[in-house]
Amino acid sequence: MSGPLVVVDALARSFAGVPAVREVSFTVGAGEIHALCGHNGAGKSTVVRMLSGQLAPDAGRIVLDGEAADLRSRQVAQRLGVALVDQELSVVPALTVLENMTLGDIDAPLVTRRRAAVRRCRELLDEMGLDRLRPGQLVATLSMGERQLVEIAKALSQRARVVILDEPTATLSEAESRRVFAAVRRVAARGCAVIFVSHRLPEVLELCDTVTVLRDGRRVVTAPAADLTVDRLIVHMLGETPHRLETSRRPDPDLTHALRIEHLRVPGRLADFTLTARAGRIYALAGQLGSGASDVLRALAGLHARATGSVQLRDRAVAFRSPVGAARAGIAFVSNDRKGEGLFLDKPVAGNLVATRLDRLGRGPLVAAGRERRTARSLAELAGLPPDRLADPVLTLSGGNQQKVFVGRSLGRPDVHVLLLDEPTRGVDIGGRAAIHRLLRDAAEAGLVVVFASTELEELLELGDVILTMRDGRVVDTYPGGADGAVLMRDMTEGKDAA
Amino acid sequence: MRAAIRQERLVPAAALLLVVVAFVLTPLGTGSPLTTFDVYNALQGFAQIGLLALAVGLTMIAGEFDLSVVGTYAVGGMIAVQAGQSSAVLGLLVAVAVGAAVGAVQGALIAWLRVPSVPVTLAAYIALLGLAYAISGGLSVTFTNRDATLWVDQTVAGVFSPRSLLTLAAFVLVAVVLGGTRLGAELRAIGGDRRASRVAGVRVERKLVLLFTTSGTLAALGGALLSFSFASANPDPGLRPLLIAAVAALLGGASLAGGRGTATGLLAGALSVALLAQIVAVAYLPDYSTQLFYAALLAVVVAIDSPGLRRALERVRARTRPVEA
Repeated sequence: MSGPLVVVDALARSFAGVPAVREVSFTVGAGEIHALCGHNGAGKSTVVRMLSGQLAPDAGRIVLDGEAADLRSRQVAQRLGVALVDQELSVVPALTVLENMTLGDIDAPLVTRRRAAVRRCRELLDEMGLDRLRPGQLVATLSMGERQLVEIAKALSQRARVVILDEPTATLSEAESRRVFAAVRRVAARGCAVIFVSHRLPEVLELCDTVTVLRDGRRVVTAPAADLTVDRLIVHMLGETPHRLETSRRPDPDLTHALRIEHLRVPGRLADFTLTARAGRIYALAGQLGSGASDVLRALAGLHARATGSVQLRDRAVAFRSPVGAARAGIAFVSNDRKGEGLFLDKPVAGNLVATRLDRLGRGPLVAAGRERRTARSLAELAGLPPDRLADPVLTLSGGNQQKVFVGRSLGRPDVHVLLLDEPTRGVDIGGRAAIHRLLRDAAEAGLVVVFASTELEELLELGDVILTMRDGRVVDTYPGGADGAVLMRDMTEGKDAA
Repeated sequence: MRAAIRQERLVPAAALLLVVVAFVLTPLGTGSPLTTFDVYNALQGFAQIGLLALAVGLTMIAGEFDLSVVGTYAVGGMIAVQAGQSSAVLGLLVAVAVGAAVGAVQGALIAWLRVPSVPVTLAAYIALLGLAYAISGGLSVTFTNRDATLWVDQTVAGVFSPRSLLTLAAFVLVAVVLGGTRLGAELRAIGGDRRASRVAGVRVERKLVLLFTTSGTLAALGGALLSFSFASANPDPGLRPLLIAAVAALLGGASLAGGRGTATGLLAGALSVALLAQIVAVAYLPDYSTQLFYAALLAVVVAIDSPGLRRALERVRARTRPVEA
């Protein structure tokens, strides 16, 4: 074997003019496990999508085993020996474990040879410690962790030279992660190049040979894992400490204005959450995917039918098991999924801004057009949206402006007391992000309780007056604003026990 | 989540069981015993809607909906009669080829232009009706090939006919493909989760073209066999065949959300619908009661299938048993 198996050479890619990856280069040798680290938005996933044939680079090239590879599609990538475990779960619940294992595999026979396939599937499942699963079982009956393990087993089973794992352990327990690591080591020992993307820094250092850190789409450093510590990694990922948006307002001492959450639980997702959130303050829930941070918000917004616990607002119990109950109590929720749970993307900005207050805009069943227009205009001004775009479909706006519409929808309503936001600036550029942060700060100053969940350290530090770190469905610790970023990061990735 | 497996098999099994029991019990009401002729007639009814139900059900399993099948059914019947006056086999082949082509064009539009299947197939349905009128001049066309008419409906083994056997064969073929081949798994995958299928490396666009080609073929075959049997082709069969086919597919465990359903389930659904119609005929019930029975059966199935019911059950469970996290 001469030279590295994978050469990533000056890869670059922009989205709508915003560069996501800028001239990133690194190499991975046969048998090497290479980590890609960085914050959300650092460009890891974009690199992964280019390597796996889902996205064409604007510039730069990918060389596999000495030959420049044109990865036009997933099929081409697969044929060249690139296997992928996607960040989002990519097993189909409607199929069996066995069918998922061979789905999309270009080497699978046209007519399923059942006995051989079952035997092979059995072996793969056993290797992954999934001896309880049957090949003929529907994936819909598996837990999320088991689904993830099936997907990993599938990728490792393809006769690949390069295996990419994008956040494979985000939803897994400690024991499940161990099995994944063992399998990854076996694959590397066979001579594959493994690219491993993870937020969990200790596991990165434990598993990987080499680490490349990305920040703002650029490569910051590539170093042997043995030369790095979690703290050094965090410094590389962070860059300089972010600037904080200070509050000038004292917290509202009146406890009746506060949102009082006691023992909120969501089976399988959130173990126990208690918080008294005072009006005028911004509360930041810091946690990675699967930490329970976003489940707190979703439960409060009425989106977890099986949530239990007690929630009080203005001396009234909130009926938080349905979205209508939550909204009636004065809780507004800005989901992290603008498209699925947020805006009417093909409808005009004005209509979206007034969509949740139609009953205040007229008499009885009728909506007064004049009042609707005036309200939309004043909300646009409040949210900092260009007034000449009110008639345009939301779809045509930038990510930042779309998010302003989403937030603006909940502003200026006397019946809203609590604003919940899940990843308030996901997919938003730098300028839009500052504007949205300003909006949230203003909302808190105006006397609202603001609670948001984020995986981005800068955002947590810029906005949070109180920061709660979360992991595995529990609060790790609570910090005042301006806490040390490295400490937060450690809590989010390792919890307390490892420190 | 476990409910998903049960429904796929439970719904068609329950529907078929209910109807079979009712069928066997009809002599209690009518006073005269069932004959093999009643079974033959039920299977003839099955042959009439089976292929349409299979076409609609198959597209539902893959997460689409083909409204044009009833248009292809009409055109297929018309072309088979016109081209088959001297040779029935030739008529059948031409009709099936046209059906396949019509399906392929729609599939290509849906896959590569990424447009939803309902408007495309609705437009195709209307266009096909127009085509059927144009071919026939708006009148029923008589099929003069008496040998073919007699052949398709002759009794085989007492209860079957070549027509019902061909329909059954189509179900068997689809069952083998859906259950035992890579293509079958991929079709169910694109119905279950299209994004995941794409990431896994399924060529979704090609599969969609193939899917609609198949549904067009099945519908045209169904129409051709029907007009051979009736010895005439009708330019407008109305919407009733489509509605009954959709009922059969839903009873067969297919879901409009896609990803769910099996060929054996669709077979059970189609048989249920046909048997129900036969019960009404044997018991001399008024014709409209068929429709009431279909509606009632469908209502029960939809209720079993509803997420609202599941959510309510989940809530009751959460309340009665304080769950540990």
